[in-house]
Amino acid sequence: MKTWMHKLVHFVWPVVAVFAVTVLLLLLIGVDLAQAFRGFFYGLFGNTFQIGEIFVKSTPLLLAGLGCSIGFHCGFINLGAEGQLYIGALASSVVAIFLGDLPPAILIPLMFAAGFIAGGIWAFIPGIMKAKYGLSEVIMSIMFNYIAIQLIALSIRTWIKDPDYPFPMSSLFAENACLPLLIPHTRLHIGFFMALVFAALVYLFLWKTARGFQIRACGCNPRASFCVGVNVNRNIILSSLLSGGFAGIAGFVEVAGVQHRLIDGLSSNYGYLAIMVALLGNNHPAGVVVTAVLLGALDIGGLAMQRQAGVPTSLTTVILGIIIVVFLLRNHYSTRMKEA
Amino acid sequence: MSETILLIADFLFASVRMAAPLTFAGIGESVSETSGILNIGVEGMMLAGAFSCFLVSSLTSSLLLGILAGMLAGLLFGLLHAFITITARQNQTISGLAINFLVLGLTSFFFLVLYGQAATLPHVRTLAAIPIPLLSRIPVIGTAFFSHDILTYMLYIAVIVSTVFLRKTEYGVRLTAIGENPRAADTTGINVVRSRYIASMFNGLMCGLAGTYMMVVLFGFYIENITAGRGYIALAAVTLGRRNPAAIFFVSLLIGLTEGLQFTLQSLGVPVPSQVFSMMPYVVAVLVLLFSIGRSYDPSALGIPYDRNERH
Repeated sequence: MKTWMHKLVHFVWPVVAVFAVTVLLLLLIGVDLAQAFRGFFYGLFGNTFQIGEIFVKSTPLLLAGLGCSIGFHCGFINLGAEGQLYIGALASSVVAIFLGDLPPAILIPLMFAAGFIAGGIWAFIPGIMKAKYGLSEVIMSIMFNYIAIQLIALSIRTWIKDPDYPFPMSSLFAENACLPLLIPHTRLHIGFFMALVFAALVYLFLWKTARGFQIRACGCNPRASFCVGVNVNRNIILSSLLSGGFAGIAGFVEVAGVQHRLIDGLSSNYGYLAIMVALLGNNHPAGVVVTAVLLGALDIGGLAMQRQAGVPTSLTTVILGIIIVVFLLRNHYSTRMKEA
Repeated sequence: MSETILLIADFLFASVRMAAPLTFAGIGESVSETSGILNIGVEGMMLAGAFSCFLVSSLTSSLLLGILAGMLAGLLFGLLHAFITITARQNQTISGLAINFLVLGLTSFFFLVLYGQAATLPHVRTLAAIPIPLLSRIPVIGTAFFSHDILTYMLYIAVIVSTVFLRKTEYGVRLTAIGENPRAADTTGINVVRSRYIASMFNGLMCGLAGTYMMVVLFGFYIENITAGRGYIALAAVTLGRRNPAAIFFVSLLIGLTEGLQFTLQSLGVPVPSQVFSMMPYVVAVLVLLFSIGRSYDPSALGIPYDRNERH
């Protein structure tokens, strides 16, 4: 009885805390609560287009989140998903723009590969620095985020700029380079389906193959792994490559599925959100899928709240920060309960 | 000839101003990391400091209150980080990231709510320059280092005091002991939890001061996410400076030079895309990190929560 109560309390108080802070902030700025929440839910379930948007938002979160979780399993704290996503998007765009005449059956896999490899390389550099020289990947990968964002900003203003428009963006991709839609009259493209397949593959890789086991072992206890003859460095480098590769694919689906061109601010913090997705999803592919969809929904609901009730979308960022803080504190208090 | 010298002096002057927020935050971070608490939330704490300073000084039109508010905001988030990582013993990297998110959200939210519709944004009065008598007359060096404002001079003092504190005082040595082996430190009677709390709150305070400096010296106005990654650069500077405030100041100066270069070249009308300059501090930070290969010794207990009751 008592443990049942504890479980309930531990599930309920974080939700209440997050909800309370949200309401408090809304009241503080004097917004009509009913209107704000109506806006939120209308944004989520109002029509097919809106429901599609949830999954459009979750796709990059899911892919980059999978990437981060692979890194975390091996103890490679990849905070550079944002940069890897951008570089992946850049590589895919370059392929789409310069090889736009190829048939889709060849072009799209090529763009996919370019995104994966470019994202992988962007994470590989901090990975090899950690494995070979013991440099902290945390700071290194963050630095690479900023470098990537400026590289994209530079590229779309110079060598891949659309000559017909005064704005800094790349030319629109040819039809061949766009991912087909999953549901007509929405923006939902097959990228989401692809991401689900990858989630299943990541599960099989990490839990059903020897290499996946090695990666997880290196994350749990690098020294013990080393002592039984596992090449720890090689596993760290491999996980960094995969980690960045998935973030790169997230960039690929964003340009090929949604924007159809490379723009500034392509990712609205997807790379950073992905870290949270991996963390809240307990680094498990199934958890990552669920959290990615939930965070996607939160984002879409926040946007609708802005349209309907004039609440700044930064509220979503606040809520996210609160969720993580509450999640961390909950970890602590639920383990203490178990011990008591 | 004299024109070139003037240009170099101006260039150095700008570099010092760019380096100052990095160094303020770097001093705090080195104290915190020495005690074993890694704080990725530097960025968020700087932003919190900048926003609070902007808000309070534009509402009360008092610079002093603004500066105090900036430091207080940083300190509060330092306290939150301390609570999550020391009392609740959670992952320090995640806690820092959460703080960055929280602050970015909160500052943007309130900035838009308060000033989203405003046609003109309030400005923060910037600190007046007080050239130091005699010293400021030295050619080049005088202009570059001794023609600043009161906060920059406080930075020089803070660099010296914190270097001495960490290396030469008993408290500094105790802090190092905590960072290396908290259990051993605990058995000698050092209060690990209290020391780490103080270090973490001091770190928050200094990050808040760094944000404040950006307000009252560098910019004088506020825009969303005004720190734009400077907190992360400060972290890189701490790593290369090996948690030695004096070294951190020199590394920050090196990174500041690239930002100073941007203004100098732009004022000379050299046609280089601005993105190249925006990238430079990060590229330099990466290069600087590469130079720390094999020479960077982290405190052994950095990032590891200390549990007094844990059995081995």
